[in-house]
Amino acid sequence: MEEREQEVQVRSGFSKKAFWTSLASGFLLLGLLLVSFGISGVACAVPIAGVGDFYVKFDQLEGTGYTFYPKLGETSSSDSSPQGTNLIKDVTIKNLQLYKDFKVGGDTIRVLITASKPVRITGLHHDAGLIQANAKFQNLTLKENNSSNWQKQFEQTSSKITLENAKLKTHYLFQETINMAGMKLTVEKIK
Amino acid sequence: MERRSWKKSRTFWGSVATIVSGIMMLWVPLNLYLSTFLPGSVAMIGLLFGGLLILTGLLAMFFPNNSKILGFMTIFFSILSVIGALGGFLVGTVFGIIGGSLLIAWGPVAVHEPKSKKSKNRKPELTESPVKAG
Repeated sequence: MEEREQEVQVRSGFSKKAFWTSLASGFLLLGLLLVSFGISGVACAVPIAGVGDFYVKFDQLEGTGYTFYPKLGETSSSDSSPQGTNLIKDVTIKNLQLYKDFKVGGDTIRVLITASKPVRITGLHHDAGLIQANAKFQNLTLKENNSSNWQKQFEQTSSKITLENAKLKTHYLFQETINMAGMKLTVEKIK
Repeated sequence: MERRSWKKSRTFWGSVATIVSGIMMLWVPLNLYLSTFLPGSVAMIGLLFGGLLILTGLLAMFFPNNSKILGFMTIFFSILSVIGALGGFLVGTVFGIIGGSLLIAWGPVAVHEPKSKKSKNRKPELTESPVKAG
């Protein structure tokens, strides 16, 4: 007499519909995230804004559409520190160096970003505690405004700004777009 | 034969893609190993997401019954890892989305194979043992 038994095995079942749906949803979400970064500029701002109190050095800066006004802002060591906000529409910087020094144990570590070729920036927002440079302005205007907001009571504008051999103590840096050809990032111990 | 059966009883390639994605996520912060651990660095998030993706891939490999929920987690982690780890230069994110989709699309199917025996006294034949999923 023949006896029939059944052996149960688990095999892979694959739903093509579920695969393509989740793949499309994943890429759609990724696209939305990247577009939101593009609109808000978060991708540029996040890595630099978190560091704070770093230095910007360059040989020459040429910019158009310059505005300056005072403000109180946060630094890495204080919640509220007097600063100046510099807004420049279009900027070209030669021999740019950005650096931040950290004290780790007994050593000082410098994170340095350099660009060997001229850097082009649009929509620059720069909060500085100190600016040392040889400056040239065109159509320079300094004016007072009658406003209850103290930040709007004074402003300085110029159609063109040129800074040479500059060193800026920076607390916040944001760019709408930045083109850094020949960029190099180094982390090194300094004495 | 045993190994092929083991591979077929789980979402093998989905898990592998997820683990590869996690390794790529770790690549960026590990290359910036010195600055990653500095205060204020967001590269630390890359280490977290890379580790979570590798763990998710391993869980999907050894607990295939939960592959759907692990797939959703993989896609979620891969997309969020763009912040901090640059999504493993976006290649890691793409691998993560593909791996996560493979995990979601996979499901175990029980196959009933008829087996006939002449009599109870007959010497048993060597057959492939059933694989339990999960």
